[in-house]
Amino acid sequence: MKALDISGITFSYNSPVDKSAEVVEHALHNFSMSVDKGKIHALLGPNGAGKTTLMKIITGVLRGYSGDVVILGNKMPDNRALLSIGCAPQTISLYMTLTARENLRFFGSMANLSDEQIAKRSDEVLAQTGLTDHAKKLVATYSGGMQRRLNLAVALLHSPTLLLLDEPTVGVDPQSRHHIYETLISLNAAGMTILLSTHMMGEAARLCSNVTLADRGEIVFDGSMSAIDNLEKFFLEKTGRGLRDA
Amino acid sequence: MLKRQLTEFVKKEMLIMLRDKQTILLLFLMPLALIFFMTLALKGVYTDKILERQISLVIENESKSPKANLLENKIQSHKLIKRVDLPQGMDKDRIFEYGRAEALVIIPKGFDEGAKPVEIYFDPVLDTGYKIAFRSLMTSLTVEVVMGIDNLDTVVAGLVVEKTKQNRDIPSPLQQTVPAYAIFAMFFIAIPMSISFLKEKNDGTLQRLFTYAVSANSVALGKIIPYYIINIVQFLLMLFVGVFIAPYIVGSAFQTGNHFWYLVPVTLIVAAATTGFGVLVAALAKTPEQSSTLAATGAILMGVLGGIMVPYFVMPLVMKKLAMISPMYWAHQAYLDVFLRDADFSIILPKLAVLSLFALACFFIAGRRIKWM
Repeated sequence: MKALDISGITFSYNSPVDKSAEVVEHALHNFSMSVDKGKIHALLGPNGAGKTTLMKIITGVLRGYSGDVVILGNKMPDNRALLSIGCAPQTISLYMTLTARENLRFFGSMANLSDEQIAKRSDEVLAQTGLTDHAKKLVATYSGGMQRRLNLAVALLHSPTLLLLDEPTVGVDPQSRHHIYETLISLNAAGMTILLSTHMMGEAARLCSNVTLADRGEIVFDGSMSAIDNLEKFFLEKTGRGLRDA
Repeated sequence: MLKRQLTEFVKKEMLIMLRDKQTILLLFLMPLALIFFMTLALKGVYTDKILERQISLVIENESKSPKANLLENKIQSHKLIKRVDLPQGMDKDRIFEYGRAEALVIIPKGFDEGAKPVEIYFDPVLDTGYKIAFRSLMTSLTVEVVMGIDNLDTVVAGLVVEKTKQNRDIPSPLQQTVPAYAIFAMFFIAIPMSISFLKEKNDGTLQRLFTYAVSANSVALGKIIPYYIINIVQFLLMLFVGVFIAPYIVGSAFQTGNHFWYLVPVTLIVAAATTGFGVLVAALAKTPEQSSTLAATGAILMGVLGGIMVPYFVMPLVMKKLAMISPMYWAHQAYLDVFLRDADFSIILPKLAVLSLFALACFFIAGRRIKWM
């Protein structure tokens, strides 16, 4: 069974008055990919490739797409599928005036964990992300790297089977980045499947065994990382060197 | 599951709110300060114009006849009057410019013969209530002197008598300000409520919530319930201060009426209207800055129109009609029905119906306009 199976996803943010196909600009077009269980899978692409849109579709945040998303055999939208996903979004999605423990408690209860489970898992994920000593401090007082690690800790709290990471090391210092890499490697070794969306080619090459390369809402490469010698060069060959400011 | 999620939503919102000093200042300290300062400022409006303040008066007795002297004595010995002398060399036409007196009475030569009337001049800025009270006093005293009556009040007392319900003689300014600024503060909940929603929408926490098995209705209720509770706490705090603390500081009593329990449905419905307003602002605004401007402007305009900042009874007729478009007017009148008028619930019910319609309209429009992502 695949951890994640996406087939024929088409999605547009446009809602034109004229519904003709010419006017609609697709964020994703007939997009299909799958992630094997127990793997770390890279999702790469320049700005506007549709990576974040795809993450939002997988997590059930965006609706109104055509095609299918199946998570561990459950077709979305499905509550069991949602609870098997852990998601660390690109933006630090935490309550800044709550402590780390209060954030974990709140998100833990949203994931239907019991009080005992929340307490136990909070201790574990705080230790995993190196934040045990800062658990009672307000998140607003954290450095960027600490906030990024807590963002990951919240995603891990309910022990998901599939972890979705959107740019998990943006804006963090090398120490925090290294700590996050070590955490991801140990989670994967324990059996967790990870889909990693990133702009950092070195990060993807180091961590991932498979790669999906997308551009302008469509897949331009989907295969094994071992087939690629130089990921950055390969990326530029497949997606071009022109700037993507739009 | 839903109950637990809602409990956690309430806890989370309360923690965030209580740690925000500006919100505490806005929702609790601002209305308390307004209650105290506005009660003191409005004392002149509510005060008994005959008993509670003296008018500084210059008396010019040009006649010096026995009747004129008697009138001069009666005027200067009245408790409403504080006689002041015109300084040497000062033109009596200019006394108001220098703030020497609030009124000037001239008893002219020929007063005895009825050839010339007593003249009264007022400082143009003197409150109309005092002008009426003083004019009435001068009429009574002049009639007494001219007609040879010892005390006109005693004669009139046999003809006209003022009757009021027990303990309802003169409403104090506290009766206006406590419910008024409690309502005002309750509507200000729209500011933290809408900012909190938009902040969560913009920083991604709202989006993160939807990655769990949480419905949009749970999220909406999780946002509304904490602020609804805060609204009720606000009212209870204002009421507590109005009943137990303010009377000792501002020196006027607060009456709670005989149907105290009517406050329960009134407050629950007022809180529904205020949270509805907050949800509407959150749905209409795109940024936290927009929402705070929209909510504050809306609340202040509703306050000005609805008889919160300027008491309804001093408004001209046009403004009284305009007041009815403000939900704060209906809320305030409902509270005054309970506190002062001892009204039956059937009298209060239409006001609550208007507030309920306002709340439903807000929730309905917000429900159609709100964009979660």
